[in-house]
Amino acid sequence: MSSGIENHTPVSLRGLSADDPHLQPAARNPERVEKVIVFNFVLGTLFGFLFIVAYIQNWQPWILGGAMAGCLTLLGIGLIAWGKYLMPRGPFVEDRHEFRNSDEDRSAFAAAIVQRGGGLVKRRKLLTGLFAGGMGVFSLGAVFPLLRSLGPLPKGTLFHTDWRKDSYAVDITGRRVLVGDLAVGSIVTVFPEGQQDTENGQAVDQTVLIRVSNQDFTTMKGRETWGPQGLLAYSKLCTHLGCPVGLYEQQLQLLVCPCHQSMFNVNNGAVPQFGPAPRPLPQLPIYIDADGYVRAQSDYREPVGPGFWERA
Amino acid sequence: MMIRSLLKRSVLLSILGVVSAGPLVLFSQGADAAKQPYQTQRANSGTPNSDVVVKNANGVVTSYGNSSIMYNAPSPSLINLGRALYMQNCASCHGTEANGVPAGGSSGAYPALVGLGPATINFWVSSGRMPAADPRQVQAMRQKPRLSDSQSLAIAAWVNSLAPSYPYIPTPNLATASVKNGAELFALNCAACHTIEGMGDALASNTYAPSLHNIPAYQVAEAIRIGPGNMPRFTGNLSDAQADDIVKFVTTYISHPQNPGGLGLGGLGPVAEGFIGLALGVGVLAIFGFWVGEREE
Amino acid sequence: MTDVIETKRSKKLAKGPFGAVGHALNELDDRLGTAKGGRTFLDKIFPDHWSFMLGEIALYSFVILLVTGIFLALYYIPSTAIVTYRGTYLPLYGQKVTEAYASSVNLSFAVRGGLLMRQMHHWACDIFVGAIVVHMARVFFTGAFRKPRELNWTIGTTLLTLAIVNGFLGYSLPDDLVSGTGIRIAYSIILSIPVVGSYIGFWVFGGNFPGTMVIPRFFVLHEFLVPLLILGLVGAHLALLVRQKHTQFPGPGKTEENVVGTPMFPVFMAKTTGFLLVVGGVTALLGAFAQINPIWQFGQYHAANISYAVQPDWYMGFLDGALRIWPSWTFHSFGHTIVFNILVPSVILPGIVFGIAYAWPAVERKLTGDNEIHHLLDRPSDRAFRTSAGVALLSFLMMLFIASSTDVIANFFHISLDTVLWTMRILVVVVPLIAFPFTYKICKEMQNFKGAGKRKTTNVVSRTSEGEYVSTASPRYVDDIPAHLAPIPVPRFINDVEAPEEDADGSGTRVVER
Repeated sequence: MSSGIENHTPVSLRGLSADDPHLQPAARNPERVEKVIVFNFVLGTLFGFLFIVAYIQNWQPWILGGAMAGCLTLLGIGLIAWGKYLMPRGPFVEDRHEFRNSDEDRSAFAAAIVQRGGGLVKRRKLLTGLFAGGMGVFSLGAVFPLLRSLGPLPKGTLFHTDWRKDSYAVDITGRRVLVGDLAVGSIVTVFPEGQQDTENGQAVDQTVLIRVSNQDFTTMKGRETWGPQGLLAYSKLCTHLGCPVGLYEQQLQLLVCPCHQSMFNVNNGAVPQFGPAPRPLPQLPIYIDADGYVRAQSDYREPVGPGFWERA
Repeated sequence: MMIRSLLKRSVLLSILGVVSAGPLVLFSQGADAAKQPYQTQRANSGTPNSDVVVKNANGVVTSYGNSSIMYNAPSPSLINLGRALYMQNCASCHGTEANGVPAGGSSGAYPALVGLGPATINFWVSSGRMPAADPRQVQAMRQKPRLSDSQSLAIAAWVNSLAPSYPYIPTPNLATASVKNGAELFALNCAACHTIEGMGDALASNTYAPSLHNIPAYQVAEAIRIGPGNMPRFTGNLSDAQADDIVKFVTTYISHPQNPGGLGLGGLGPVAEGFIGLALGVGVLAIFGFWVGEREE
Repeated sequence: MTDVIETKRSKKLAKGPFGAVGHALNELDDRLGTAKGGRTFLDKIFPDHWSFMLGEIALYSFVILLVTGIFLALYYIPSTAIVTYRGTYLPLYGQKVTEAYASSVNLSFAVRGGLLMRQMHHWACDIFVGAIVVHMARVFFTGAFRKPRELNWTIGTTLLTLAIVNGFLGYSLPDDLVSGTGIRIAYSIILSIPVVGSYIGFWVFGGNFPGTMVIPRFFVLHEFLVPLLILGLVGAHLALLVRQKHTQFPGPGKTEENVVGTPMFPVFMAKTTGFLLVVGGVTALLGAFAQINPIWQFGQYHAANISYAVQPDWYMGFLDGALRIWPSWTFHSFGHTIVFNILVPSVILPGIVFGIAYAWPAVERKLTGDNEIHHLLDRPSDRAFRTSAGVALLSFLMMLFIASSTDVIANFFHISLDTVLWTMRILVVVVPLIAFPFTYKICKEMQNFKGAGKRKTTNVVSRTSEGEYVSTASPRYVDDIPAHLAPIPVPRFINDVEAPEEDADGSGTRVVER
């Protein structure tokens, strides 16, 4: 046997003789490897046929996908094995070339830009200045249709909802909510009448109505009339990132936001007692009219939902 | 003489009035129970659309409801059996008169069961949560029931006999229910705690919303109406038809989800998908890469 | 003038010794001058260490994304117009849903092969981002980002950002409950930006949330603008790789001035095409057997609905985790609010992480004072500081990822949610602080221990006549062992000892191969 080291030293691709060991297959037993690859290709092709049949026969997605997987994987394995074991084993070597050009080329390039171009600017300062200014104005102007036309200005939109004085609280089907609908420990999602069908209305006006007692309930000073017969209305928009706070634990008296687990204490005005929410859920002032319907006294007294720059 | 008989009559009349008006009072708002930790509130009945109300000879309502759900009181013949079973299994924590036991140890009060309605008792016992496997746990978890369905009904019958209350044991009629309405209502009312796939999840302070898989229809209806533990109760704000729709949705598409895409990966969503994608996807491919490439000299 | 008779043979001879193919190549060279460059290209040498395959996983999963994505784009309707679903999934039948949602559900149930394509597309995306991260880690830990490859590192980091963004845009397109919640969170994050937040939010969404414009706009971005950017940058990434040639690990015959490996044609092409097929096959396997994003179970997004256990796709998990564990600090005064509890975890934190990534080549140049060109890679243990810093950052990100599934952990292990949250808050700080010195120590020890982690080489142990054992390193390749060192069979009978056939030094030594 010839010495092993030379056979495994990298050689260049060019100028190799045909019987050079670097061009031999890497496998010690190429015939056996070829048989295995043949098997892979044949089996892969059969899977390919299975894919066609599965498609025509409209079989389950897993059969379709499994057939595709088998076909692709087996063909791929065969091809990799061909490349790895039956093709010239190498290793081959190639020289790198320095990227860097000569110093003269570098100077010439720099000179072209700095001297020719720079000189241009220096000689015609007024022209370049005016042109730059004009392009600057145009660029600024081009931003306007790109950005401003996309949508309206926010103005005061984020500060109000659609709840008004005497709005009826309705559930998702549009049915007005009666005080008798709710037992102690009940919860229902309500909207101002007319807004339950609109996505924008739902997004902003969503309110949870819960019942904590059968007597009038005060959450904090100044809100004595806001909890008639134990009904409390809080904005369903979490003050963290705006997810609906639909998770009510009636014994722990907590409203939990499912997104990032902020927990709001229902009894004292939905003050957050755990989690990332920074502010209590705004409480909607409600009253119960003579027929027993739940209605709003006014809009929320503060903007609902997460914080933003203009929010005081 | 006349005045005394008048007095007697008026007193008798007023007693009669109170006794007959009792069920009516119970139909309206439930009584307020003092808020104590882990104390279940008095159940409020109030099914606003009971087309059918069946009373027995004494004028006591034995069943009510409509074509969507019928609510039946447990049979009075079970009361004696129920009393015996209660004393064996429940009295040690809930008291011999089902009045509850004040704070014992570190777990708070064992709640009073009087006046909670048969559906409440039946739910807790038939789902295996009671008798409690570990009374010190914050929330009793669902288990294989220790008492059979009929034993559970018996206990419910006896407790209810102490102070008759609502709601009764529901029997949902799934034939008339709509899964489309059920899906919509489930998404709005139930998914926030139980997840949209009904897998359940952890809530605050060691409480849990349980998985909704493989629960009998009547238990789902009971849970909706009574609001067990920390679950809110849905009384007047969900009609019987709506509750029936939710029950059908939960017992069909939640319990047996359609997974045409393959393995459901536990219904955990992107968490499980990320694990599989990285471990099986990138991992397996990296192993292939290990074969394709060479190893370091 | 003699008539030239055109025979088949003469035509064949006229084509030259390489036949029709050679003829065609000549025609091409006439027009484009491809012969010289073509040969150079085909002769290009690719070092083929296995860790260089990781970038290929990313590249080929992107190809799968393109192919499956074209299929999906032919069926998906990017519109928020309300239609009534009348397909085969009963819980949805009769529901008012958006066209985007209805077309996605129809794609899953009514289009043949549609569900498979959808799932392959989604799995390919998870694999794509995962492969980019793993590839980036390999490049980082081996120092392949150093001069002259800093530009490629910058392009690669940008590709990671674009891949994550495109993934988010893509899974939001079906307008289902889970992804719609993600869009609501994105809107709130935009709003939290000081001064311009509400303006940008209203412009991106065409009004207040949810509006009707966000799905069509996401479609344009996901379908057209971002893939175009990714394609362009991938092209530049590969072009730079070809121009600068691939890096290689140090080893016998490998220097800074050469590349050792296999030629582009046919070896590398065969292996890489095979790998493309295997990536496709594994993606198809996942798409066939593992359900992903079952939007029909989630239902149409409505702004008042929410589900528990909602996480974003895994590559957004570090943001979600940061949002969960960051405390609720905001600052308001002078009539304005700076929403730090959103800004820090979701805007400032990723800014810092990606900023570190972008800046690292320059930082390392400054810290090590090394401005040399490097084509040979480092062993990670040889660069203790860099490796430790990388491990610390990765462990920090991993803690954030774990923090994103606090509720799943609490449910699975039956621990209180509050406990899990506080634990993650502590771990996110403590684990990286421990990981850094731990890794540093391990690297230093590996440096001092010669041959740590290297493959064992064969040793030939020779016994001299004095009874001394001498061990010499044997050639690596078994069939290349010189004959005089080849093992001789053990004799059946002690008296039957035969002298070895060739006894090169005549010393009568017996050889035992270990």
